[in-house]
Amino acid sequence: MGQENFVTQKRTSSTLPTTTATVNGRASGGRSLPRGRQIQKTFNNIKITILCGFITILVLRGTIGVGNLGTSDATDQSLVEETNRILREIRSDSDPNDPDEAAETEINPNATFTLGPKITNWDQSRKNWLDSNPEFPSYVNGKARILLVTGSPPSPCDNPIGDHYLLKSIKNKIDYCRLHGIEIVYNMAHLDKELAGYWAKLPLIRRLMLSHPEVEWIWWMDSDALFTDMVFEIPASKYEKYNLVIHGYPDLLFNQKSWIAVNTGSFLFRNCQWSLDLLDAWAPMGPKGPIRDEAGKILTANLKGRPAFEADDQSALIYLLISEKDKWVEKVFLENSYYLHGYWAGLVDRYEEMIEKYHPGLGDDRWPFVTHFVGCKPCGSYGDYPVEKCLRSMERAFNFADNQVLKLYGFRHRGLLSPNIKRSRNETATPLVYVNQFDIRRTVHEGSGSQGH
Amino acid sequence: MLDRCLGARRVRKIHRFFRHAKVTCLCLVMTVVVLRGTIGAGKFGTPEQDFNEIRGHFVHRKRAEPHRVLKEVQSTFDISKIAVDEEPDDFKRDPNTPYTLGPGISDWDEQRGKWLKEHPNFPNFLRPNKPRVLLVTGSSPKPCENPVGDHYLLKSIKNKIDYCRLHGIELFYNMALLDAEMAGFWAKLPLIRKLLLSHPEVEFLWWMDSDAMFTDMAFEVPWERYKDHNFVMHGWDEMIYEQKNWIGLNTGSFLLRNCQWSLDMLDTWAPMGPKGKTRIEAGKLLTKELKDRPVFEADDQSAMVYILASQKEKWADKVYLENSYYLHGYWGILVDRYEEMIENYMPGLGDHRWPLVTHFVGCKPCGKFGDYSVERCFKQMDRAFNFGDNQILQMYGFTHKTLSSRRVKRIRNETSNPLEVKDELGLIHPAFKAVKVSSSHS
Repeated sequence: MGQENFVTQKRTSSTLPTTTATVNGRASGGRSLPRGRQIQKTFNNIKITILCGFITILVLRGTIGVGNLGTSDATDQSLVEETNRILREIRSDSDPNDPDEAAETEINPNATFTLGPKITNWDQSRKNWLDSNPEFPSYVNGKARILLVTGSPPSPCDNPIGDHYLLKSIKNKIDYCRLHGIEIVYNMAHLDKELAGYWAKLPLIRRLMLSHPEVEWIWWMDSDALFTDMVFEIPASKYEKYNLVIHGYPDLLFNQKSWIAVNTGSFLFRNCQWSLDLLDAWAPMGPKGPIRDEAGKILTANLKGRPAFEADDQSALIYLLISEKDKWVEKVFLENSYYLHGYWAGLVDRYEEMIEKYHPGLGDDRWPFVTHFVGCKPCGSYGDYPVEKCLRSMERAFNFADNQVLKLYGFRHRGLLSPNIKRSRNETATPLVYVNQFDIRRTVHEGSGSQGH
Repeated sequence: MLDRCLGARRVRKIHRFFRHAKVTCLCLVMTVVVLRGTIGAGKFGTPEQDFNEIRGHFVHRKRAEPHRVLKEVQSTFDISKIAVDEEPDDFKRDPNTPYTLGPGISDWDEQRGKWLKEHPNFPNFLRPNKPRVLLVTGSSPKPCENPVGDHYLLKSIKNKIDYCRLHGIELFYNMALLDAEMAGFWAKLPLIRKLLLSHPEVEFLWWMDSDAMFTDMAFEVPWERYKDHNFVMHGWDEMIYEQKNWIGLNTGSFLLRNCQWSLDMLDTWAPMGPKGKTRIEAGKLLTKELKDRPVFEADDQSAMVYILASQKEKWADKVYLENSYYLHGYWGILVDRYEEMIENYMPGLGDHRWPLVTHFVGCKPCGKFGDYSVERCFKQMDRAFNFGDNQILQMYGFTHKTLSSRRVKRIRNETSNPLEVKDELGLIHPAFKAVKVSSSHS
């Protein structure tokens, strides 16, 4: 409308020179409009401009919603806070729904801690049970029934990448156990408040032994230990006269009394009375609080190289084996002919060399059975080694093992650090040829079959 | 000067014309603007989009706020430092040839039958009505974008480990992308085919999504019901064959027999999967053909609905759409009723009274937040996990303090005669785990 006026004005000015401009009577007249008229016109223009501006704003507001400019900050902020709160709640160890938390923290230090009521006839009870339940034998296909037990805390890791490696670690164990017919129990519950942390495995092992008499061997494995030899099978026949198989060195244990003489990150316990007794003798140093701290001091004083910290299960076992040697050592097999536990630092950098020179199935220094990432603690906030080195090494160990599993399917990783895979074999219309050649279970079963039942 | 050429009247006419034209144009512009603002002009966008774009341009750091929370937490370690491809992928498919899962096999039943005869110590049936089952699940080899996502994947696999141990089922956890073209929900197809062909001793392959959890540890799948079928999915016949509803079945949890029919089915299923133009075009076709399907690229579930609905005569007689128990149970209608179930029913039912599987469709715990709110998804996943875990813990005399709590408490004291104590559900030594007494099969 303003434009029209403008046009009109323009027209007026263009028609001014001619004297025959009679169309718009209002516009005709003198050369210049009277002052009043001009002012009126200006006001008209301004009025119309304001009107148009007003309408524009109205229309824009209706479509874009200019009013949101002020509130967007607030919604973003509240979203952030809400997300933060939920993540904090999930990751915290405290339980908003737990009414008994306060009441249960009292421990009587004077009462002797026990894992449970004393059992004295477990061997006989177990044998009776096995005899009356032949559909749950302790030997299947000529092999002793083994139960692999592992676990992790029930709350998310402090470091998110830790959960990812826990996941990879359990996949690694699932693969090994599927190939070797071993069952897995993954524990995420604290069965005993007092025996928390590394001691939590004791009540768990005892509980599983007593509930599963058909299990011959209970194999505890830490969550930071990975299988790196998928073909190697535990030579159970070697341990017929023993009840505890643990990786360690007799010299370090009996002569040097070193606190790392054995490793309790991967060991086998036979399901028998002797094991129950050992667990009962092992547990007393465990209860959280003053008992564990005091025990820690004793252990540091008696074991070589042990730093000062609260009692841990490994040092306690070493101390027990040294101090009550006659009672226990006869039935303990200190295995070091293969890596039932393989300390990672000396192994992970040599994987390429191993691939070149050796083959799976050896289980020892040439191709380690288990690579154990002691001290890495990917789940916690801090470990004894730099995070990057640890995680890189864990990734390599995982892929080193995974390549052995993927071989059957015709794939392998694109390098030991790569999560991606590539084909190592073309697809074929007769896949069973490769199945016979590469399936690990074929070699394992045929091998054990020839050893006889 | 113009009027000298054309005449004064003409000039005035022209001027008037121009004036009118200007007014018309102006009004036209105004109309377009208002219409664009209200109903939008498709590709040309709306003022709101413009505004967001401009806002994004200048105020882009504010945009990142919600995601910064996640990134901050992850900045403790940068996974790209260690996840490195050291070798290239040499295999490249010729884009002009149609996609196939692998070289065609037409005699798989014979090949497999022969192999089973030659290897009697790897039978495909563990007992007369108990086939050898391989449960297959998986997740990405890269850490989750969500800082607690991996933790929930860990709980989910623990849940599956427990169920499979109780029921004598083998487990395969996949973390490898076998075919880059079939990424996303289609990744299961090449994997399933590969596993069927590499494990002839497996009779049934049970695919299960990583966001599905077992909530009935005592329920054993009725294998004999499926002796004449090759493909078992949760769904309803009417919804597929009559309504062609895209959620008439669910491919998050299904059973597939190891046989030639299944290989043929996989080959028929795969063509809509290859990433890119094929998948997008297929998506459009599926949205058009299926009821209520939103617009997005082709997914394996919709493709299966389409195949069954359009090729009914060929496939339907061997497909069993199971709905008498929750082979897949949509979480939305189940999770709030757990307390009611505990009060009124017992495990072993598998159906709406005590679901076998609770499937957290749409939650996407590993990725950035999915279709539902964070709080509801994670809290309910905790509850579902504990609901299932309680059935495992009760074997050993424990239970979670509440369905939301990570802590456990005793429900049975330790005793000096542990073998006389029987767990309530009889899950420690269940019948479905018993080994055949006669040794003819070993």
